[in-house]
Amino acid sequence: MTVAQFVFFCGFALVAVAIVAFGVVVVRSARRDDGGPFVSRALMARLARPGRDRAELQRWAFYLHRVSGLGLFAFLCLHVGDVSLYVISREIYDEVHQVYGSVPMRLAEVGLLFGLLFHTANGLRLVTVDLADLGLTGSTRALYGVLGISVVGTLVGAAFILGPVIA
Amino acid sequence: MTVADIRGDANSARRRRAAYVALRLSGVLLAVLVLGHFVATHVTTDVADTDSRFIDRRWATALWLIWDGVMLTATLAHAVLGLWTVTADYTAGGRRRLWRAALLGGAGIVLLGGLALLWLAATAT
Repeated sequence: MTVAQFVFFCGFALVAVAIVAFGVVVVRSARRDDGGPFVSRALMARLARPGRDRAELQRWAFYLHRVSGLGLFAFLCLHVGDVSLYVISREIYDEVHQVYGSVPMRLAEVGLLFGLLFHTANGLRLVTVDLADLGLTGSTRALYGVLGISVVGTLVGAAFILGPVIA
Repeated sequence: MTVADIRGDANSARRRRAAYVALRLSGVLLAVLVLGHFVATHVTTDVADTDSRFIDRRWATALWLIWDGVMLTATLAHAVLGLWTVTADYTAGGRRRLWRAALLGGAGIVLLGGLALLWLAATAT
């Protein structure tokens, strides 16, 4: 590992720390204000019942939307930094960029893709709820679609991202 | 309540509405730009091949320069607007002002740095 790659690694570690720290802030605030993000037996029983009870999922979508949003912003700051190396020195850029092709970073990219897809699909759902007034049941149903798109899209993307290193 | 207060409320409401609409409009724009960017760098090209020669080819066309410039600006606007609300939810008083200053400062540095990068790359050849 060269010095430039090590600096990039430290930057990536900072992004990870920011995501975890913000996740803690969101969860602690949720415990204080929303009755808690506890995965209790009562919650599971509610989610098992179709219909209005599953609207509870929207609160979790809200938490995930926030945490993924902060994560994407933190990664953007790092990413603009590493692409900036292109005008400073192409050699250093290529050196740092090799990290993107490594197996651990490819796994992180699959995580990034899930964050992107969930934040995008859920954001479009929120716009739709604003414009079309879906109601509680409709917007919860739309959330199933969001989760489906995120999971399926991530799996398809993972095939493209991880394919070259598995084969 | 004086006339000035009422006008202040109306201005504040207008500002909030503008921020609310801007957050969603930039979000819809980013859905296309960012996912397109991800597809271009991970699906149609393997990520290991997106080296400096890939950037040479990409930034030789005005389309991708404009794409990246608009994407960067819209992302930072979207991030500032979204995190502005987040700071309102989780912080108060002096700490909130501090986080908001850090947010604006950080986003400003990334925006200027990124646009300078695009400008330098576009004029280098």
